Amino acid sequence: MKLKAKAGQEAKKAWTLSRFTREFGGWVFMLPSLVLFAFFVWEPMGYGVVLSFSKLRAFDIVGFAGLDNYKYVLNHPYFQTALINTVKYAFWSLIIGYMVPIIVSTVINEVVHLQRFFKFVSYFPSLVPGVAALLMWQFLLTPGDEGLINSVLLEVFGIEPLPFLQNPSWTIPILIIALTWKAAGSTTMVYLASLQSINPELYEAASLDGAGVWSKIRYITIPGIYNTARLMLIMQIISIFQILYEPMVMTGGGPSNASLSLMFLSYQFAFDKIQFHYASVVGIIVSLILLVLTAIYLKFVKPQDS
Amino acid sequence: MKSSKLATKTGIISAMDLKRTSTRVFYRFLFALCILMVLICLLPPLYVMLSSLKSVQEFYSIPPTIIPRSFEPYKIIDVWVKTNFGRHYINSLIMIAGCVASALVFNGMAGYTLAILKPRGYKIGFAVIMWSLMMPTVINIVPVMVNLTKIGLINSFLPLWLGYGANAFQVMLFKSFFESLPVSLVEAARIDGCTSLKIFTRIILPMSKPITMVITVLTVNSSWSDFLMPYLVLKDKKLMTVMVKIYDMANSHFPKDYQMVALLFAIVPPAIIFIFFSKYFTQGVSIGSVKG
Repeated sequence: MKLKAKAGQEAKKAWTLSRFTREFGGWVFMLPSLVLFAFFVWEPMGYGVVLSFSKLRAFDIVGFAGLDNYKYVLNHPYFQTALINTVKYAFWSLIIGYMVPIIVSTVINEVVHLQRFFKFVSYFPSLVPGVAALLMWQFLLTPGDEGLINSVLLEVFGIEPLPFLQNPSWTIPILIIALTWKAAGSTTMVYLASLQSINPELYEAASLDGAGVWSKIRYITIPGIYNTARLMLIMQIISIFQILYEPMVMTGGGPSNASLSLMFLSYQFAFDKIQFHYASVVGIIVSLILLVLTAIYLKFVKPQDS
Repeated sequence: MKSSKLATKTGIISAMDLKRTSTRVFYRFLFALCILMVLICLLPPLYVMLSSLKSVQEFYSIPPTIIPRSFEPYKIIDVWVKTNFGRHYINSLIMIAGCVASALVFNGMAGYTLAILKPRGYKIGFAVIMWSLMMPTVINIVPVMVNLTKIGLINSFLPLWLGYGANAFQVMLFKSFFESLPVSLVEAARIDGCTSLKIFTRIILPMSKPITMVITVLTVNSSWSDFLMPYLVLKDKKLMTVMVKIYDMANSHFPKDYQMVALLFAIVPPAIIFIFFSKYFTQGVSIGSVKG
């Protein structure tokens, strides 16, 4: 029986000419895209690993370095700073960047007056190009009595001028706030879509059963957006560990390396010192960290059955 | 506040809850939060705009004036001419045109193959594309740049354009759109002996206007804002896109008020596009989130 069925299947899949052109045509259609994915995603990944184990002279591989590159980077005085800073970025980004879109979308979704206007405005900062947004905040946050925000603080609230980005322990949280200002809007839209897909009858039924606001949030809203929030969590972690051009544009890694991130260190190795092997080592280390974090995430943050 | 809207309100706070005074106060509090959000979103860019158009003396006064006393809009033209900004707009347009074409053609063809053609072993292609969604992309910049330098594609728009043809998220958008099209049409055409190419150009393309708009709008916006790769690839000052130019201005000795006016040049185009095409931005989000 099994054999017969198999033979029948084979007959169906016989390679007639028209079928061949169809299959072949399909692959021809996909091939250009696959080549681009290979060139921009997969080959660089493998090449990065190769570079990290190689001796380089400018752009050319001149020998096998074993673990020497890794030893060099791990013992580099800036590496530890960059690692700790990146963890700080992740911490602040989970506290500020992760929560803001959830809160904003929930609030907008509840406010029926001017709702379309609020949605529109909440998306506005996402339209401001990243570099422009960062330069804008850098300007507003100019330290000392030259700064605009400082002059508002002084004249309206009577607060003495603050150092903002110049204070090493404030730099990272402020960068995250600027980043959140720019990025929260598009995430808010995703949460709004998810909030609006919650069946309103659930809320009505809960109201009729006498459920209060908090229990509706607990038993209807949170389960309703759980899977979206779960996806956003890992996206946020993956992107924040690669933070690069935010410190590059706003602080240049300073003051005294207080905002130097791992990928910015990698950038400096590559494009300031032309040491692509060390840059690749940092990249590989970030990948490994993300691999471990993703594994932990998949193990402990389970999707919810709907 | 109009109470008619509140009388039929559903959601976490329902019309029933609003009968209680405490909940009504809470609702007002939420409304106030939204107003606060509006201020936080709009004031900083407006403020930078207005203060960049202050007179030079006022701009550099210490402490800066909170409410601008002077307003000199002709500074905009002044800066545009002195920095030769038209050239950077043209560069950005070249960048955008190529990126949109590349995104539509390559991601569209991949999405079409995965949704409709499904040749033998297409799942391998699917895996190659989908797994790249999870890959940390910034890490690839170093090896990609080494490759580009070796091939000699520095100071060329080509790698920037092609990079937009490898966007797994857009392949997903295309795929889920093509899957939503009626299969019977494609089957019928195939029985009539249409080739894959004909099916694509005669049947699929005319029906694909909505997804084409979504991808175009998303790509225009992201390629306009793109900074890191253009900065690394376009080393020639004549080739700088708008984003690279404003970063370059911030790092050279341009007067601060000039820099702020130039920010205006960077912010205004996407804002205008959004006002006209906001529908497609939100569609992109909603198509994306269904699958996510």
